[in-house]
Amino acid sequence: MEKEDQPEDHIKKIQFKENSPSQEDLERIRKRIWNDINKHEVIVPWWNRPYYLAAAAVSFLVVALGIGWWNINQENYKTAYGEIRKITLEDGSRVTLNANSTLKIGNNLDDNKVREVWLTGEAYFAIAKHNGAKFIVHTTEAEVEVLGTEFNVIARRKNTKVVLHEGKVKLHAPNLPAVIMKPGDMATVMDKKQPIELRIVRTELYDSWKESMMVLDDKPVSEIAEMLQDNYGIHISFADTSYLNKRLNGKLSLKSTDDFITNLATILDLEVEKRDETFLFK
Amino acid sequence: MIRDKLTPQEHRSLWDEFRSGSQDAFSRLYELFSADLYRYGYNLVRNRQLVEDCLHELFLHIYNNRHKIGTTDNIRFYLYRALRRRLTDASARLNKLDSEDYIFDRAEFLIQSYETELVEQQVVDRQKEVVVAELNRLPKRQKEILYLVFMKELSYQQAAEVMNITMKSVYNTIHVALSALRISVIERLNREGIFINVSIAVLVGYMVRIR
Repeated sequence: MEKEDQPEDHIKKIQFKENSPSQEDLERIRKRIWNDINKHEVIVPWWNRPYYLAAAAVSFLVVALGIGWWNINQENYKTAYGEIRKITLEDGSRVTLNANSTLKIGNNLDDNKVREVWLTGEAYFAIAKHNGAKFIVHTTEAEVEVLGTEFNVIARRKNTKVVLHEGKVKLHAPNLPAVIMKPGDMATVMDKKQPIELRIVRTELYDSWKESMMVLDDKPVSEIAEMLQDNYGIHISFADTSYLNKRLNGKLSLKSTDDFITNLATILDLEVEKRDETFLFK
Repeated sequence: MIRDKLTPQEHRSLWDEFRSGSQDAFSRLYELFSADLYRYGYNLVRNRQLVEDCLHELFLHIYNNRHKIGTTDNIRFYLYRALRRRLTDASARLNKLDSEDYIFDRAEFLIQSYETELVEQQVVDRQKEVVVAELNRLPKRQKEILYLVFMKELSYQQAAEVMNITMKSVYNTIHVALSALRISVIERLNREGIFINVSIAVLVGYMVRIR
């Protein structure tokens, strides 16, 4: 055995079998905690001094209304780097919000004729049919108008990409003719005055992020680097920049970004060095 | 490993913000640490409901007592210790037995499967498996110490406090565990006729050391 083989190094490199809670689990526990915190603050004075019942009841109402109002205005979802969140909207539509993304929900999603949301970042939408009410996803560059369908929207780096899985959507962008998309289409809207680009893609390549997987399918390394920056806030660079043009195939798990980077290095046959916030491949 | 992105100063200031009553800081604490606590808790008791209940109580407790609790520059350590105490007590009530019998039972080390797909050299994989199998044969107390120190990057002192044992027994345990591991891995590899002319650092992980 060589001298530098300290057993503790081996252990650090092995994973431990961990059972992670789902986003729903964490959300459920969070609700329980926050519920009790609010209850605690209202119920204690009421319990101790019964003759303040009226006052307590009023304050309870105020707090309840306050919480209700806060909830209505709290219809913003924001994910941190590396966080993927599943959301069910009031109208029954399901949204999976990718990392580092924001989704704002319009008022009264349940009753309005037009259901509207605003997206920056990336999300997968499974829109529920709802009394024929339209559903519109707004991004900086475009509007996606749908009836009931499943699609993925990426609104990053000054362009919006829509990949349609099922159903039918209409894509509007200011000063450009609207485009009707069919399943399997990917539409790209640039911020400049170029017409909307439409092409047929393999849709499964564009929603694997929901399962924390990355399907490479001939992706250039530069695109992988952009994804790491956008979704995880991780910056990678190459001593030899020609690696950025290399195209890779296969599947990589994104459950642990450490492992992702390590595996990427293994595929490229490079060494990784962490410098401040940057991973240098050389 | 870059699991915990906060510096000790950030730990301290987030914790102080929380102690001075910031709701925002409390929310951040939950976001940053709940998943990790859940994982540790599940390794400790293998009972999702119990972990959920204890997490719920723990966060409620620190919230209600935020003005009374002390400073820390490692929030994870603080919360791990509190959670382990709660889980040990709850599990003792539940099992009416010495709860230490149940704690960290069935927790195990593993090699991640997708990683092995990438690496095709059979021999190397076999050797990695041997190391992991030997690790898993260690007594659970030793496993828990290795888990806290190497996977969760607690100091020996902190691991000792979390597990409510002395620093000396952490040192001893790690020493014993690592020597036992070293000997049994070499023996087993020799027995199987696999030559150890490749550095084990390469065998075990194929993991580049980040940091």
